[in-house]
Amino acid sequence: MSSESSKKRKPKVIRSDGAPAEGKRTRSDTEQEGKYYSEEAEVDLRDPGRDYELYKYTCQELQRLMAEIQDLKSRGGKDAAVEIEDRRIQSCVHFMTLKKLNRLAHIRLKKGRDQTHEAKQKVDAYHLQLQNLLYEVMHLQKEITKCLEFKSKHEEIDLVSLEEFYKEAPPDISKAEVTMGDPHQQTLARLDWELEQRKRLAEKYRECLSNKEKILKEIEVKKEYLSSLQPRLNSIMQASLPVQEYLFMPFDQAHKQYETARHLPPPLYVLFVQATAYGQACDKTLSVAIEGSVDEAKALFKPPEDSQDDESDSDAEEEQTTKRRRPTLGVQLDDKRKEMLKRHPLSVLLDLKCKDGSVLHLTFHYLMNLNIMTVKAKVTTTTELITPISAGDLLSPDSVLSCLYPGDHGKKTPNPANQYQFDKVGILTLRDYVLDLGHPYLWVQKLGGLHFPKEQPQHTVIADHSLSASHMETTMKLLKTRVQSRLALHKQFASLEHGIVPVTSDCHHLFPAKVVSRLVKWVTITHEDYTELHFTKDIVEAGLAEDTNLYYMALVERGTAKLQAAVVLNPGYSSIPPIFQLCLNWKGEKTNNNDDNIRAMESEVNVCYKELCGPRPGHQLLTNQLQRLCVLLDVYLETESHDDSVEGPKEFPQEKMCLRLFRGPSRMKPFKYNHPQGFFSHR
Amino acid sequence: MERAAQPAVPLGQMEVFQALQRLHMTIFSQSVSPCGKFLAAGNNYGQIAIFSLSAALSSEAKEESKKPMVTFQAHDGPVYSMVSTDRHLLSAGDGEVKAWLWAEILKKGCKELWRRQPPYRTSLEVPEINALLLMPKENLLILGGGDCQLHAMDLETGTFMWALRGHTDYIHCLALRERSPEVLSGGEDGAVRLWDLRTAKEVQTIEVYKHEECSRPHNGRWIGCLATDSDWMVCGGGPALTLWHLRSSTPTTVFPMRAPQKHVTFYQDLILSAGQGRCVNQWQLSGELKAQVPGSSPGLLSLSLNQQPAAPECKVLTAAGNSCRVDVFTNLGYRAFSLSF
Repeated sequence: MSSESSKKRKPKVIRSDGAPAEGKRTRSDTEQEGKYYSEEAEVDLRDPGRDYELYKYTCQELQRLMAEIQDLKSRGGKDAAVEIEDRRIQSCVHFMTLKKLNRLAHIRLKKGRDQTHEAKQKVDAYHLQLQNLLYEVMHLQKEITKCLEFKSKHEEIDLVSLEEFYKEAPPDISKAEVTMGDPHQQTLARLDWELEQRKRLAEKYRECLSNKEKILKEIEVKKEYLSSLQPRLNSIMQASLPVQEYLFMPFDQAHKQYETARHLPPPLYVLFVQATAYGQACDKTLSVAIEGSVDEAKALFKPPEDSQDDESDSDAEEEQTTKRRRPTLGVQLDDKRKEMLKRHPLSVLLDLKCKDGSVLHLTFHYLMNLNIMTVKAKVTTTTELITPISAGDLLSPDSVLSCLYPGDHGKKTPNPANQYQFDKVGILTLRDYVLDLGHPYLWVQKLGGLHFPKEQPQHTVIADHSLSASHMETTMKLLKTRVQSRLALHKQFASLEHGIVPVTSDCHHLFPAKVVSRLVKWVTITHEDYTELHFTKDIVEAGLAEDTNLYYMALVERGTAKLQAAVVLNPGYSSIPPIFQLCLNWKGEKTNNNDDNIRAMESEVNVCYKELCGPRPGHQLLTNQLQRLCVLLDVYLETESHDDSVEGPKEFPQEKMCLRLFRGPSRMKPFKYNHPQGFFSHR
Repeated sequence: MERAAQPAVPLGQMEVFQALQRLHMTIFSQSVSPCGKFLAAGNNYGQIAIFSLSAALSSEAKEESKKPMVTFQAHDGPVYSMVSTDRHLLSAGDGEVKAWLWAEILKKGCKELWRRQPPYRTSLEVPEINALLLMPKENLLILGGGDCQLHAMDLETGTFMWALRGHTDYIHCLALRERSPEVLSGGEDGAVRLWDLRTAKEVQTIEVYKHEECSRPHNGRWIGCLATDSDWMVCGGGPALTLWHLRSSTPTTVFPMRAPQKHVTFYQDLILSAGQGRCVNQWQLSGELKAQVPGSSPGLLSLSLNQQPAAPECKVLTAAGNSCRVDVFTNLGYRAFSLSF
């Protein structure tokens, strides 16, 4: 071993003295090509354990030698130097061994490291492979789950049911033999069929769209045609106007009226609409028209821009010219009043024709600042009326419509808010102005749809169609009845003033054939005169004698007996009966205070008036009552018991047939006339 | 005179008609209930109204207490006469007597218990019944009226027992002379006849108009009212109001009243009478006028004294006549208030 190592050492020693490491290596490389000498290979051959032993031995030897050298050196001597040199050479050899062992150890270490490194690399490679594979596995698993979860779009399509499919699909698509067994094929076939159907439907849809386009175009064409028709029709209408007038079908006129109606203030508009509707639907005798200036109505709503300029100019002018003449307070107030009571320039005209040809003309105005409507009335008849003296008030415009509904006298404004407005301009009551402005009756407000509730005062009262509609029919009927009854009274009064009580033939059965007492006087009296009569106190106290009523005095005479009758005529005649109060002057003055029979006579005319109404509409009531009064006076005078102490025959012999003259504790006379037997009995 | 309140509501047809009816109403008869708390009044329209005297006289009386508690149509014609038994109200008018139960009368829709018509001779016209007289001991009801006869009806069986004829003209009034017992009847023919009920015959006749002291030919001869106190009788009407001594048939006192009297009654030591003219007159037996108390109606037809022992607080005199009002006099000196239909 040592010889080998020394062989090997030798070249190495030589080399270690002088040559650099690299040079050595290159040389060893070249030398190695020739020789197969490798310390690496040597390492594999040597046993590391033995090398370790060798190392230990060498170290020991060295230590021994060193110790001997030490000894020798310490002893000194000549042989010592040779011995030392010998020992030195041995130590050098040992040092060589140690170096070799060191090299070997290094080589072993390197080898070991290399091997470890290799192994590690391998392991790493496998590890990497493992990782790769695991990763792939995971990836594949994901893919698999994805595939498994895959919902094909075809499942979202609602396919036709299987039976239908087999029924409808043509055999080349359904391929029953194949698809029955194979669900995949079946689904495919179904999808095919679905596709077929959809294609067909898409075709149809496109066709329909194109159809629609065509039709739309046709419609356009026709529309254009129609719109070009309108101007032609207008010209035809214009041409037909004279024909319309000839045939009494004023369509154009109505159309113009509707145009004007647009400018009416709301209450008048409501009235116009409702009255026209009522006239067309229920009552052909009603005609509606609008009069007044439309331009003024339009001007009301124009903003006063131009007028402001004018005003300033005119103001300047005024100041220059009329500096001295300042308007007085009174004139200012007057102007303010006029402003407050201003009427809307348009008004609605209603004409009610009655059966006998007489017409009631009603003109409705609207007072803008007071928000109320007023009406002016006029009655015209076919023949000229000669007004009897007592009938003055019957048809006068002021009173003909008074109390159409009970208590509606039309002298006060129905809008409670007006009172404050009046206070500002010093108007006491509307009564002073009604002659000019018309009467603000409550029914007029209702026809215009205006409702002024007393309990909850409202800020703004607006016109309401339903209110107007609900009152229209009743009011029109009442108006007609009123005009008829007034005209009837008019005629009757003319006759009464001549002392004739006009009894129509269908009322003859109410009275006996012979009536001796006569009506000699029929005059009108004032309300104050009536209340001052001594025999009318009861009526006045019962509140039946208002200042809206009309009062008359009738005088019936027979022989020396004079019967005065004071009549209260309610404006609501003939539904409300006239009331009679009697005073008989014959053998003393007898009134209802001191004679029960006078009281009974009054009762016969006042309470039993329903029998005397006559045929509908009852306009004969007053004349029948007067005639009955004459009959009653006859009965009274003829049945008066004869006073035995006075000489001479009775002034009025009994001509009436009576069953009994007196009856009951009050000893009543038989006032009730029985038809057709013609005798008198008691009630 | 009481004033009707001015109506605040405008008068329509209905209100005017009702006002006219009230103005022309005449109350002919009155009757007090057996308990003394209610007053029935009958008017010329055939209606009977029941007033509550106890409510009207109480200290909390309001305006509504003076109105009837209930008003119903009893007859077709006027209700000329009414009397009360201890359970019934009997009313008579145009030819019929009807009975009502006092216990039921305050309920709405009260129906008559029974109605009876005396057998009349003529059928041309139904005669009225002007006076009813109750004889509690014999349980008889005497009727006198337009057919000039007195009919007697047994209240238990409802049959008419006999008819007394004698008057030549219709009968105005009846009175009962308890001691005998005799019935006095006064009629339009001017005679007062006395009838004995047991023999059903006329016992005495007094032709008032033939006596010069009391006859007043310009008023007629009719006897409108009668009252008797067994020995004495007072009657009036066309002739002056006179006090008679029955046994001797002589007039002892003539009361100086010009207006014909329609109702007269004895009360304590006074004679109360009422008739044409608005006052209730109080006379002393000597013929002096003690007091004249004005009422609210222009003429009075009936007086009623509530002397029922069960209600001493309702002891009042009520007077009614040519109006829709019944005057209540709590003390004979003045009119306290008026009940009104």
